[in-house]
Amino acid sequence: MDGAASVEPLAASDPPTLRAATVIEGTALRAVRVPDFSPEAKSGFGAFLDGTQKVQIVAHHCGMPIVIGTVSAAVRIRVDRRLTTWGHQPPLVERKIYLPLRYLPVLAELGADVAQTSWQIVDTSTADKSGEYPSQHPAVLLERATRAVDQQREHLEDRLAEAWCAQGEAPIYIDGGISRSANVASSALAVGVIKSHRTLYVEGDALRIVLGLRKGERSSVFRVAPRSRSSVMSWYLRLRGEAGRDPLWGLVRVEVTERERPSDRANEISRWIMAETTPLSLPDGRWDKMAYGVRDCEEFLRAIS
Amino acid sequence: MSEALGRVVATERKPNTPHEFHFWTAINSPVGIGTIVRVDGAQPMDGQIPHIYGIVVEGFSYTDLQSPMHDVLGHDGLPTLAGFASTERAEIRLYTAAVLRQIPEEPLQPVPMGQVFLAEEADVHVALRMDSYLKDGANTGIPVGVYRAGGTDAVIYLDADFLLGPEAAHLNITGVSGLATKTSAVEWLLASLFKHFPEEKGSIAAVCFNVKGPDLCYLDKPGKVEQTDEALYEKLGVEPKPFQKVEYFAPYTAKGLALNTFRNNEELLDNVTPLTWGLREVLQYAEVLLNKDDIDAKADALIDFITENVVDKEFAADGVLVKNHRVESFADLDAWFRDVLQGLEKKNGESWRTHHVATIRKVRNRLSNISTRCAGLVTDSGAVSDLPFGSFEDKTVYVVDVANLEEDAQDLIFARIVSKLREHLERRDLGVKHLVVFVDELNKYAPGDGPETYVRKMLLDIAERGRYLGLVLFSAQQFRSQVHRRVVGNSGTALFGRMDPDELSTPGYAVLSPATRTKLATLEKGQLMIRHPHFTQPIFVRFPRPAVMQGREGSERYPQSNEISLEAAILRALRPLDPTISLPWVQEITALYTEQEVIRARNATLLARPNDVKAYFSSQFRKIIPAQPAQRPMAGSIRSVPENDPYGF
Repeated sequence: MDGAASVEPLAASDPPTLRAATVIEGTALRAVRVPDFSPEAKSGFGAFLDGTQKVQIVAHHCGMPIVIGTVSAAVRIRVDRRLTTWGHQPPLVERKIYLPLRYLPVLAELGADVAQTSWQIVDTSTADKSGEYPSQHPAVLLERATRAVDQQREHLEDRLAEAWCAQGEAPIYIDGGISRSANVASSALAVGVIKSHRTLYVEGDALRIVLGLRKGERSSVFRVAPRSRSSVMSWYLRLRGEAGRDPLWGLVRVEVTERERPSDRANEISRWIMAETTPLSLPDGRWDKMAYGVRDCEEFLRAIS
Repeated sequence: MSEALGRVVATERKPNTPHEFHFWTAINSPVGIGTIVRVDGAQPMDGQIPHIYGIVVEGFSYTDLQSPMHDVLGHDGLPTLAGFASTERAEIRLYTAAVLRQIPEEPLQPVPMGQVFLAEEADVHVALRMDSYLKDGANTGIPVGVYRAGGTDAVIYLDADFLLGPEAAHLNITGVSGLATKTSAVEWLLASLFKHFPEEKGSIAAVCFNVKGPDLCYLDKPGKVEQTDEALYEKLGVEPKPFQKVEYFAPYTAKGLALNTFRNNEELLDNVTPLTWGLREVLQYAEVLLNKDDIDAKADALIDFITENVVDKEFAADGVLVKNHRVESFADLDAWFRDVLQGLEKKNGESWRTHHVATIRKVRNRLSNISTRCAGLVTDSGAVSDLPFGSFEDKTVYVVDVANLEEDAQDLIFARIVSKLREHLERRDLGVKHLVVFVDELNKYAPGDGPETYVRKMLLDIAERGRYLGLVLFSAQQFRSQVHRRVVGNSGTALFGRMDPDELSTPGYAVLSPATRTKLATLEKGQLMIRHPHFTQPIFVRFPRPAVMQGREGSERYPQSNEISLEAAILRALRPLDPTISLPWVQEITALYTEQEVIRARNATLLARPNDVKAYFSSQFRKIIPAQPAQRPMAGSIRSVPENDPYGF
């Protein structure tokens, strides 16, 4: 959009935290070398899922930010080693206007007219669960808009992930966690790979073990059970040697549905994820953790949205 | 309608223009360099969806890899590990196409975004503007080959009006030797021309100069036609048959017994005619053989004098000449010179009729030398056997074999025949309305540098003015860049076979894209790139192998005869005229005569082609009464003398 200013994703407002989790592979968390991995190992993933979002401030009205949010998500399937868009469910792209209608009475009065436009409007000034309205501070309102866009993107990703799991074709590599959707969290086909570590599900000695994982090593499997989300089993996996870099370099956390024999499952999935480390997803800055298929999703979505 | 195979793309860095556009395709699309495509514009213009036709001239392929180092890192520096990656990088096939035609043609705008389709046969006709001469009523299309891409097989036609005049004319072929390109292409094109030349444009024939090898020596003999070529012939509407009417011409060897051609096998002599010229024919083109150092103004004046006043004239004795002369041959001319010089010596004179004795000696020396340098072609006797100027026949190929001749003789033959053809075409009495002259090795006959020669001047003249006369030059060479620019520049149509990379690096090929040049350097046998006035870009086509016997096969099946005995040579020459002639008959008739006399009688018989060959041949010899052994007088018997005869009687 001409003249629109893109907004960089805001730093997550949740502070970095450590949270204990229940180990379900053995009694204490330890480092496990992923067995039988070789460069020739084949990946079992048949598809990749990721979403993108773009937040643009297109105008200010009475100092209040008027934001357009574009979100998209796509599943790219692998056919003969090449990635192509999943034909069963086309990529999703949505564009909405995010307005603090409470603080823009003039626009609120236009409600009927606005409703007739093809644009969907999201009110960023509604009261929260406790009944409190957000501050009129433009930065607060922009943060609310950004969070709303974020949620919309997650919603699209969940829709596609559920569609994939319902279709049941092959395991899918999902960029991010899988616990938001109960259907996805309970599907044997969904594998979530989390690159960011604002919350580390280890404490004490376990933290030192995770941060000390070497390339090709994983942690013991533990259970992640957020309050409002489904419970899944999870483990950390070091994809690339971290020597000389920060301790989170090449470290991902994997989420899958809870199953019996977690060790076997964790080893198998870890081999698949390590097989996805080539080709490199450079020049993306997160290439140490990002699978090429995820980068392909993002490039695809950048082209269409 | 076929499915779209690509999409037009344009960026600020790589924008589309009215003459060029870019599009991408799937990895496995059948697009390649030389493929013709059609773009359907998305937005109508004046109510009409624009269609843009283009030919692919460049291709690009790349992945999302930003640095080769990323690939090295991704595979730990081991190329062997690269094949195990679960995913191939995203890859693009991006092509650049040169615009062939836009419809509507006005206003001429940059190529719009749109879908790209593989051109079908009808699209190819429109793209190359062939629709203008293939429509009802025009019908001047001459099939030159088949354009192939994807599933499209489209016949490519040349416009006869632009190949043989009057709009444009001439054709030039370039290609490396030994890949069956140049000669094969000409043989195929002549076959197509003879089949498809519009009747309303009149008759057509071809004169081919065979300057090397036996390739043109078996045009009337069938060759092998592969199944794939049969399909091409059918598509192109030409029967896979050798030429029906072919006449060969070749001079004799220096000894004058056998014809100096690859086609002198006895089985092939029925349509081979000796090519022999006398003094009259040669003197007209003396400048071809005499260079400027030989001929100064004084010598030139004497040659003019001889041409005007001596040759074929009664030249009476004067104070110097002691007897009357009628000069009709080189032998007569030499006798005339001898008489003049002896007369001057006797009188101790220094000049005769203003010509200095030194000039006379010099001209005598140079002219006499011609019959030696061109022995086999030029006869001392003056016997002439020539091409049938004035009675050329429609759809006939006349091959003049000069492959085994010295350079001088080749130049003389070339200069005289082309000049005669031109004269007859100017007078409209050659026998055909259009004539194609094929000359190979144009590097040699019309080089871009070097001294001005008679042959080069003549080729330039044909190239620049021939089309008005119906005289069309089909020329060929290995290095187009070394041919005179005005000769190749005047060739409306140009064919290119596989090219030498060095040749492709010369400035003349700078207009071609690097990919097109690469394709030219790797063309297969039977593939050509064509430039024609109607085509705004060069087009690649495939043509069938000529349905005539190839030179190598011909020379194996009909081996060239070695020099043979006089009697055998006479038998060979006369037997096609009268099959009853036998070797013993020839031996009996010629036994008493010199070799020169026998050859002269043979030449006269071949020229006259009489009904009664034996009688005519015999009548050419002077009467000689065979020597009879002297009768021994009868010796008288010696009478016995009576013993008692005292006188001994």
